[in-house]
Amino acid sequence: MAPSKKKHASGQPCIIPGGFTVLSLQFSSDSVAQHKLYVKEHKVRAEKSSHRPLDRTLFVLNIPPYCSEGVVKELFSQFGCVQSVELRDHPGSFQDSGPKLSRFFKPVAKQGFRVGYVVFENSSSLRAAKSHPHDVSLVVCTEQRPVKTGVQKWIQQYTESFINPDKLQHIVDSFMEGYDKRKEEEAERQRKEAEQQQEDEEGWVKVTRGSKGTKGRPHSEAANERTLQKEMRKKKRKELLNFYTWQHRNTQKEHIADLRKKFEEDKQRIALLRAQRKFKPY
Amino acid sequence: MKKKQAVAEDPAEMIPSESREEEEEENEAPVKAKRSKTEEVVYHPVKLSRSDLYRPPTAEELNQLKEAESLFHCSLLKMQMEELLKEVALSERRKQQIDSFIQTVTKRLRTVPESPEVEVSDLSWLSNAVKVPFLLVPKTTKGKFHMTPPASVDLIGSYPLGTCTKPRVMVDLAVTIPADVLHPKDVVNQRYPRKRALYLAGLAQYLASSSDIGSMLYSCLHGNRLRPVLLLTPPGKDSSSFTVRVHACPPPGFFKPSRFHPQRNNIRTEWYTGLQTTQSESSEPPTPLYNSSVLGDLLPRAHLQFLSAVSSQCSAFADGVALLKVWLRQRELHQGTGCFNGFLASMLIAYLLTSHRISNSMTAYQLLRNTLNFLASTDLTVNGISLAKDPDSTAPSLAEFHNAFQVVFVDPSGHLNMCADMTACTYKQLQHEASVSMEFWDNPTVDGFHSLLMTPKPMIRTSDHIFQLCELVKLQSSCKKLNLLSELMDHSGNYVHTALPYILSLLQRGLGQRIHLLTHSLSPDPEWSVESEAPKHKAQPPLSFGVLLMPELAASALDRGPPADSPKAAEFRQLWGSRSELRRFQDGAITEAVLWDGESMCQKRLVPRQIITHLLQLHADIPESSVRYVGAMVDDVIKTGSELPSTGEEESLLVVQSYDDLSRKLWRLEGLPLSITAVQGAHPALRYTQVFPPLPLKLDYSFFDREKTSRSLVPKEGKPCPAYITPITVICHMEGSGKWPHDRLAIRHIRTAFHIRLGELLKKHHNYMCRPCPTHLDVWKDGLVFRIQVAYHREPQVLRESVNAEGLLVVRDNEEAQALEMATIHKPLLTSTLHGLQQQHPCFGAVCRLAKRWLGAQLFSDDITEDTADLLVASLFLQPAPFTPPGSPQVGFLRFLHLLSSFDWRNNPLVVNLNNQLAATDYTEIKNDFTATRESLPVLFIATPKDKKQSIWTKRAPSVQILQRVVMVAAESLKLLENQLMDSNKIQDVRVVMRPPLDAYDVLIHLNPKQVPLLVQAVDPPTVTFSRGVMAGNVTQSGGALPVIDYNPVSLYMAELREAFGDLALFFCDPHGGTVIAVLWKPKAFIPMPFKTSQVSARSVVVTGEEANTVPNVEAILEDFRIMGKGLIKSLEARTEKWSL
Repeated sequence: MAPSKKKHASGQPCIIPGGFTVLSLQFSSDSVAQHKLYVKEHKVRAEKSSHRPLDRTLFVLNIPPYCSEGVVKELFSQFGCVQSVELRDHPGSFQDSGPKLSRFFKPVAKQGFRVGYVVFENSSSLRAAKSHPHDVSLVVCTEQRPVKTGVQKWIQQYTESFINPDKLQHIVDSFMEGYDKRKEEEAERQRKEAEQQQEDEEGWVKVTRGSKGTKGRPHSEAANERTLQKEMRKKKRKELLNFYTWQHRNTQKEHIADLRKKFEEDKQRIALLRAQRKFKPY
Repeated sequence: MKKKQAVAEDPAEMIPSESREEEEEENEAPVKAKRSKTEEVVYHPVKLSRSDLYRPPTAEELNQLKEAESLFHCSLLKMQMEELLKEVALSERRKQQIDSFIQTVTKRLRTVPESPEVEVSDLSWLSNAVKVPFLLVPKTTKGKFHMTPPASVDLIGSYPLGTCTKPRVMVDLAVTIPADVLHPKDVVNQRYPRKRALYLAGLAQYLASSSDIGSMLYSCLHGNRLRPVLLLTPPGKDSSSFTVRVHACPPPGFFKPSRFHPQRNNIRTEWYTGLQTTQSESSEPPTPLYNSSVLGDLLPRAHLQFLSAVSSQCSAFADGVALLKVWLRQRELHQGTGCFNGFLASMLIAYLLTSHRISNSMTAYQLLRNTLNFLASTDLTVNGISLAKDPDSTAPSLAEFHNAFQVVFVDPSGHLNMCADMTACTYKQLQHEASVSMEFWDNPTVDGFHSLLMTPKPMIRTSDHIFQLCELVKLQSSCKKLNLLSELMDHSGNYVHTALPYILSLLQRGLGQRIHLLTHSLSPDPEWSVESEAPKHKAQPPLSFGVLLMPELAASALDRGPPADSPKAAEFRQLWGSRSELRRFQDGAITEAVLWDGESMCQKRLVPRQIITHLLQLHADIPESSVRYVGAMVDDVIKTGSELPSTGEEESLLVVQSYDDLSRKLWRLEGLPLSITAVQGAHPALRYTQVFPPLPLKLDYSFFDREKTSRSLVPKEGKPCPAYITPITVICHMEGSGKWPHDRLAIRHIRTAFHIRLGELLKKHHNYMCRPCPTHLDVWKDGLVFRIQVAYHREPQVLRESVNAEGLLVVRDNEEAQALEMATIHKPLLTSTLHGLQQQHPCFGAVCRLAKRWLGAQLFSDDITEDTADLLVASLFLQPAPFTPPGSPQVGFLRFLHLLSSFDWRNNPLVVNLNNQLAATDYTEIKNDFTATRESLPVLFIATPKDKKQSIWTKRAPSVQILQRVVMVAAESLKLLENQLMDSNKIQDVRVVMRPPLDAYDVLIHLNPKQVPLLVQAVDPPTVTFSRGVMAGNVTQSGGALPVIDYNPVSLYMAELREAFGDLALFFCDPHGGTVIAVLWKPKAFIPMPFKTSQVSARSVVVTGEEANTVPNVEAILEDFRIMGKGLIKSLEARTEKWSL
């Protein structure tokens, strides 16, 4: 940090090559060391997701593990109202995570350093964040907003891991209901498509492109492989092995070649062992 | 790139020019090998060109290939033996050195000046600088002596025969004492042996002035004080390369051999004791050992002639003897008193050749094999053998030899028993070794060459238990107690060797069925300077005894004797003394019996110790204090329990019983929508290998907070961390059915539903407290927690399937599926297999526990996981070659360390043949696959019958660097431990090997012991203890509030650290009560990296011009260590001398 500190007088934002603004972050007001957050407006050409509006999303790098989404939200509220915060292990495009899961069924999040997408309500907040002086640190844990770490946090985690079996059963039931419904819909769709391919009264079949998942035969990689193998076997069975003299001669040749190969292998192994002094008994 | 294509098309069709090169390189392999020694040597599969492989064979080549194939099950073995022989053979240069030195010595010896004739007991003619190499007890004997030049000086023994091998090259030189110095009656009363010693002293005095000789020492042949020898080494830098051993001998045929009949007496009691007796000569006790030691001096030239004649007939004789000598040396049988030395080895092979048991045209390999076979099948303690073709009438018969000696092997003259000083135990050991070796040789899955000839078998790693007699002077009183005066006379006062056979037979009788084999160390030949007196008999290292235990009987606490009224009862009482008492047994019999102390398994394992100390005290007057028993010293580190010491067998059994009960109850549950198809344990505690098995706990409820909704206990802030409760994993497989969904999320929800349902049923029928979660169901039972996981056998398959963009169903392996298979298939299988192994070998579990304790203490337990360690230990039991399966935890642990440190992990797969499911062909297949794809395989490769190609257990860890360190630390620990165990003088602290060197690490995080729940398991017992919410008293079967399960701040902290800083540093901690977390920076992490959005974790940017590089923000990281471990950390020690902040 030394060179950049000299370059920028205090009260100035620190901007590094690549367009990122450096923000300092310390755990509590009496911490001696600081982490550096690197922020930049979120700019991705391909993405047109409503979750990350281009002009209002701040892309934040290097968020320490003890900052949860709530903490980040409050940290950035000083620049303006924050609409939402998304924390991820790696930068990447927004993914739809399928059916909604209860927190007990979500895969355990990694507790490492993360990247965040902070969406402000106003785009002016974005500019405020980017022009924040780098020598004024953001403070994670204050008296109004204590952040639990260490033993306190683990006890809290342990306490929160309990769930009433009835509640759990309820979660399971509602998920399975949803699953069954989705299944049914899928089946219905398939049935309809199949119906379309049936002959109508006059013997006409309507040919459509259809979707590929609806073929009658199981369409999988394994099945393809099997068919291929079956054909190979068939071919092999038709071949005669001991018919011509050259075939016999070949097998003999192969045998000698085998022996030779083994002999050479052993020889090489010995050379290797000798190189490692593996024959010294003591 | 052209080359790669060719390989893909046909491995044999290589570009010829390239493979030529390889060929040539191979031809000059030795040269190249030397050059590339420093490089990393890697074995690549051979590539021969097509033209090389398929060129028409010549007759010679065909023969060579055929021989290699048919004679040995692998031509490799033949080549290996040839290489080995090259290693031990003497080089031409060395031979020239020896020859020239022998010439100078001979020249010198011939010019020994004469001295005037004096009485034998008059030593005034010797200068003070040279002492007589003889213990002069009794002080005087009759006879005249004077120095004259020797009648002749000849080479004898292995050197002229060509069977001399490295290391410790010994060249024997026989100096014939002229006939006029000796008298035919000198045989009597040690007159000849004393004259021989005087003659050697005279030679030493003369040679001392010579500059041609480096150093001069006295020694004695095979520890026999009657046969001193003079050791000469050449001067200068060659001094350690060989030793010339000067023997003094009488002229051939000087004494009549008939005088040395084993039943003749040649030492008079009157002379020996100095007391007047009225015994006539015929009633004097025979002195067979004395006789044979004098006779031995008469015959070396004859023996040499005989052996040369035999060896000239058989071309492979010298090589065969050399191999046998290597084999003997690896087993520590080659030197010392009563050893099976190289001379006996040559004689034995000569015997087999002359009796046409092996033919002259055999190779060295076949000679070795047949000799071992003969040793294994012939008991020389009962059926002695003789080399004498037609002995003269005065020669004793074999029966007479058997009466006088324990082992009988008669020389070609028919008068001398060459195994005179060998004990029956040594021969039994030899026989045992031979038969074990034959087994390994015939087993195609064992690397015979390596286990027979390359692996040393020191006693500490061979025998299950070891004990040492420290104060040998105590054996003097044993001789008195055992009434061994005449034997003492025969041994010329060597009370150690007099008492030894009697002690051995006593112990053999007492230990009886408990042991397989009793061995003893061969006391090494003493060596002392020519200027000092001969050392006393007690001045030898302590006698060590080794015991191979019978696993089934060794630990039984009862010795049941004969019925009270049988005549054998008296004998039994005599043997056991006051320990024998009459007992009535459940079957109604009243018999004599001895009951030994011992309640827990670890106490019972030491029953042999009680027997040995008791018998030695009772019959041989050896106090317990001078017996040092090295049987279970290492076991201390896994000992638990204050009232009843235990090494975990009992606790494990309790856990297994509780599990069996649970499993039965699960099977019987009714009202589940699908039936249970299997209940399998998947936790080390269920295979007896958990280092500290979970203990049933009774809780102090007031210590905890409560969680209201589920009646569970929760740790309280501010209190010490509650006792850690290990969840014992149990896998419960559910029946397959069409009702199971074919979707990963849905399956997980259904499993959860099963967890809930199982919990309800267990609560309803058995009143167990249960806690269902999406991933598992915790059951609180008998003070233990079982974690039941429901499994569906098709789930891994579902996880692997996905539909790609074209709608094609593809199956792709992924980590998630592998992890699930590991948890639900591989682990349960391993657990049940190893559980079976424990049933066969009672100490398997204890060895695993010791091994894992060591790994934990040395901070390796995250890299060599529990399962890996268990497999490594299992391999010691399943493939013990060249040993027998370990019979005590200690020896198993030592072999584990040896395996870790000496196995060639780079070039060999470790095959663990669980349940004996792998055949020889599988071994070759595994090996071939391994060599073909070595680079992409885990560094520590373990193949099992279910996993031949991947080594699933070691895939994640260890890395090359860690494995290197493990190997290094294991070697160091082994050395230290073996020294400690065998050295009777050192203060014993076996825990030294459990204390890791911490100076290699960059940051040490010291933890607050209050928050370390497993503190009591620490290597060094903690000074302070904390109350952890556990009460003494009986454990209730069921009910009560659910305890705090699987809550360990240390492991939670470690997990967080690894997740956050895993790419910057490595974290190590002893899971068994370690209070230090050691941090090692990764060197790569500190190289400045260009700024990338995916690589800025915990880094700070350094801007130089237009470039932005990142380096780890160490200050903030150290601060984070403190923040993340708040409440757990005591202090942080940054060792900045190694790196700068």
